[in-house]
Amino acid sequence: MDFIQNVPFFSIMISMFSGIVSSILSEKWAKRLNTAVILAVGVMSGALLIWLCRTGCGSYIFMMGHFPAPWGNEIRAGVLEAGMAMFFSIVMLLSMTGGRKKLFDEVEYSKHNIYYILVDMMLSSLLALIYTNDLFTAYVFVEINTIAACGLIMIRQNGRTIEAAVRYMIMSLLGSGLLLMGICMLYDLTGHLLMSNIQQAMADIMANGTYRIPMLVTVGIMTIGLAIKSALFPCHAWLPDAYGYATVSSAAMLSSLVSKGYIFLLIKIFYRVIGLDIIYSSHIIGILFIFGLCGMLFGSFSAIGEKDIRRMIAFSSVAQIGYIYMGFGLGTQEGMVASVYHILVHAATKSLLFISAIGLTEVSGGSRSFFALNGSGYRNRIAGVGFAVGSLSMVGIPSFSGFVSKLLFAKAAIINPTWKMFPTVIVLAISTILNAIYFLKTVIRIYTPESALVEEEKGYYGIRWNQQRLYTVTIILFVILNLILGMNSQPVIHLIETGLANFA
Amino acid sequence: MVIGSMNDAIIMLAAICFPILFGAVILLMPEFSSRNRLLGAVGTGLLVTGILALLTLGSGEAGICLFSLGEKLEIFFRLDNLGRIFIVIVTIIWILAGFYSFEYMKHEKEEKRYFGFYLMTFGVLLALDLAGNIVTYYLFYEMMTLLSVPLVLHSKTREALMGGLKYLFYSLCGAYMVLMGLFFLNRYATTLTFTAGGTLNGELTAGNEKVLLVVVFFMILGFGVKAGMFPMHAWLPTAHPVAPAPASSVLSGLIVKAGVLGVIRTVYFLFGESFIRGTWVQTAWMTLSLITVFMGSMLAYREKIMKKRLAYSTVSQLSYILFGLALLQGEAMTGALLHVVFHAFIKSALFLSAGAIIYKTGRTNVDDMTGIGKEMPVTIWCYTFASLALIGIPPASGFISKWYLAEGALSSGTGIFTWLGPVVLLVSALLTAGYLLPITIKGFLPGADFDYGSLQKREPNLWMVIPLIVLALLSVVLGIFPNPLTEYIRTIVSTVL
Amino acid sequence: MLETNFLVNYGEEVAILLFGIGFANLLVQKNLIKKIIGLNIMDTAVYLFLAEKGYITGRAAPIVVSGVQEVEAYINPIPSGLVLTGIVVSVSVTALMLSLTVRLYQRYHTLDLDEISVQLRKEGL
Repeated sequence: MDFIQNVPFFSIMISMFSGIVSSILSEKWAKRLNTAVILAVGVMSGALLIWLCRTGCGSYIFMMGHFPAPWGNEIRAGVLEAGMAMFFSIVMLLSMTGGRKKLFDEVEYSKHNIYYILVDMMLSSLLALIYTNDLFTAYVFVEINTIAACGLIMIRQNGRTIEAAVRYMIMSLLGSGLLLMGICMLYDLTGHLLMSNIQQAMADIMANGTYRIPMLVTVGIMTIGLAIKSALFPCHAWLPDAYGYATVSSAAMLSSLVSKGYIFLLIKIFYRVIGLDIIYSSHIIGILFIFGLCGMLFGSFSAIGEKDIRRMIAFSSVAQIGYIYMGFGLGTQEGMVASVYHILVHAATKSLLFISAIGLTEVSGGSRSFFALNGSGYRNRIAGVGFAVGSLSMVGIPSFSGFVSKLLFAKAAIINPTWKMFPTVIVLAISTILNAIYFLKTVIRIYTPESALVEEEKGYYGIRWNQQRLYTVTIILFVILNLILGMNSQPVIHLIETGLANFA
Repeated sequence: MVIGSMNDAIIMLAAICFPILFGAVILLMPEFSSRNRLLGAVGTGLLVTGILALLTLGSGEAGICLFSLGEKLEIFFRLDNLGRIFIVIVTIIWILAGFYSFEYMKHEKEEKRYFGFYLMTFGVLLALDLAGNIVTYYLFYEMMTLLSVPLVLHSKTREALMGGLKYLFYSLCGAYMVLMGLFFLNRYATTLTFTAGGTLNGELTAGNEKVLLVVVFFMILGFGVKAGMFPMHAWLPTAHPVAPAPASSVLSGLIVKAGVLGVIRTVYFLFGESFIRGTWVQTAWMTLSLITVFMGSMLAYREKIMKKRLAYSTVSQLSYILFGLALLQGEAMTGALLHVVFHAFIKSALFLSAGAIIYKTGRTNVDDMTGIGKEMPVTIWCYTFASLALIGIPPASGFISKWYLAEGALSSGTGIFTWLGPVVLLVSALLTAGYLLPITIKGFLPGADFDYGSLQKREPNLWMVIPLIVLALLSVVLGIFPNPLTEYIRTIVSTVL
Repeated sequence: MLETNFLVNYGEEVAILLFGIGFANLLVQKNLIKKIIGLNIMDTAVYLFLAEKGYITGRAAPIVVSGVQEVEAYINPIPSGLVLTGIVVSVSVTALMLSLTVRLYQRYHTLDLDEISVQLRKEGL
């Protein structure tokens, strides 16, 4: 075994232990440790990715402890897992640096090292969700993830965030309750907790025809549980408050990483636990498809009606989650590739939007109202550029990342014409137009100059890049990430395809 | 990846990138706040771009593939004869209207922003004409929309803002219809590169014709939004008049033509004319364009605000072109392409003269223009020549293109449209005379009770007059010597039909 | 066969019923404390389910007392282990929920989530 194969285990462990160590560190050192850990995880996952590609080894299994497959606990790493871990740590690092200034304004200084503990915990639970091959471990880390996310929401400690955190907790607990029930029933039916072993038992059960219906119910329960947790359309009520009022780093991470962690787990369950043939021949996929479409429309409509820029971006997340589930719902390999690509695109774009929106509201007297944003693109230029790039990507202008994922979705729908083809293409077009309405409306508003008189009266001020170096660098890196995903999609798609092929 | 000579490819890229980057520099650099420096820079920028654009014309079969957005999705530029025509009209009009702006924009604020975006849009339009596949075309089509919105919004009044937003959303709706088509083409075409005669993959297409017909119809509708085709024409009369006059002239003269070029590329270079000949798509397309021709003229006739009247006229005239293309017939297509060229010069001249009137007198309503010809004779003469050309009075240019259009319709074998087309064109020409000429007539012959005492000479200065004269002359002279142009267009038509 | 299964597995049926009750409580109750009680019922139901599944009549816990017997003599210890892990998770989640509830109650003097939302809107936050 090569030394580098320890990377998944190491990354989970160092992020978890850094969280524990941070509890006795000062704010400054907790911050440094946090940054170092995220960087280290990113670099290590990158190295693992390169190693996996170079050796041509699709995926390997890492034994946790001394017991072999049916009894012990396992980690399984492949191209997609390593790539996802690297991408998540990049986005997380950028979200942290972009929101650092705001963190000082909004969160009590004495609570800062708690914040870093939570972030470390979240990183470790996300990594565990990505790498684990054991369903019950996945459940435990889902709960850790929920608790960390709840802490990240309420760290601001005003009434609104606590309320949002409570709502978030309630919906999350419903979701994880269903997931837990599903896992227990699955264990009951198959006698295994390791994903690969379950799949064999599953295939036998389906082939024999015994327990067919209980099996489908179980799968349905797990899917619903994870769908609730990742805010699929009818269960999204908690989302706008949680994303809209939390401090900006939290909002960026919640929207781009936390929900994606659950979706990634769901993909793993589809591929590795249930098996694609079974899931594609069931009705579950059709239901996901329809809710995905509804989410795409509903999220965009709500965003159009929203007057608060942060909540508007949050509602747009509902629509984007809808895209991802719609891709699952297509029930083809291409649809799955498109969804995974959209996970990347959405993570890169949505965190950029949150981070740049905060820069814009900051120079508009702190008001989050849409109407106060006039001319803010001139007062904080880099934030304006970031927001414009994010919007164009969401709208799907070629050469930005959003275009590629839309193209992939459409291609997936068209390549195997079923009854899903026209709904997909039409809803895709409508939803894109709706996206364009609210994002471009905002872009025009931030570039409509406000008269100097009004600016003086309301106490607006401009901010230059050398007053916010870290923020500027963050936005530039985000923009570059977006352009890479938009202009150089082929290698990434290729990675996703090989990753998914090695997934089962 | 470069096809043909490297030098040609570099010139092509330079012609596209230079104005875009130069415009961006003007927008970003505070140094250009002083008016003289700004105008100097813009003038140089326009001329350099013009020279580069004209240099590209000389290049042979050159193409360049920049990078790839994904499988089959290259950003690819290539020059063909159709592109050459568009490049020439874009370059001439853009430079002339640019110089006209030097004087006109004095009474508008924030010239820096205007000129910055003006230059960038120039580059994008050149890129559109050079685009070698539908992905590149779509990319620059969206960019054109986004970059020209600031030109529409320029005055920042409520009306301009609403006009700009309307423009944006209609255009985006259209663009997404095109995008939908692109999705399907990506699957069913062998390549997305524009190829005369179409690129549909026969094996895949078999059995899916119905779906693809819907798709091509959506694409025509989508590009038709830009070209003001009914039922998505409503943005045009709102958005064009609120822009500053030189901007409206390029919007109405050139940017709408991007929609036409898109339709040509889609129908003749991607799907192939044989795919839609005789289908319901062709019928629907002809019907919609004829409705637009008539409706545009009627609305223009009833409109009292001069720039709005001209915008409605654009709606109507653009559908002449679309009708000519819809006939899928050689003569008609020749007529349509001729009309593309002629209408570009004529409509820019008309908008520029409307701008001159607004700049000097502030009058916008047609009824207030009594006696205007005595005050600004040169402007109104130019206006008159352009009007005559648009109406189609021989030997001015409009006559030639309409002649070919009518002839094409008569020999197209499209059933009822063979005679309905020419009839509608004729009625619309009469209406055109009805809405354009009263300004000339009242302007020069204000009637007996006109107060000649208060008259004063208000001719604008040379920056404005010379572009106007050049454009008006071009619209007449091209009608007198149409043969080289017609021959050239015939070579294009012969490759696709 | 259905009837025998139905009668034998009453423990699991009760567990699923309890799960439903807990789930519904967590979802629809307005009072936060009742919600938390619902959460606990839901989690406990899962543990009951696991415990029922883990127990096989006539077998002993896998603890070696008088020499190793054959495999059939013991039950599978994993479900019990899962119950323990689950309890730890649910305790921590419950604690977090309770602490949040306390905060909200201190600020707004009510346990009704909707009423809190109304007050928040009044505050203009």
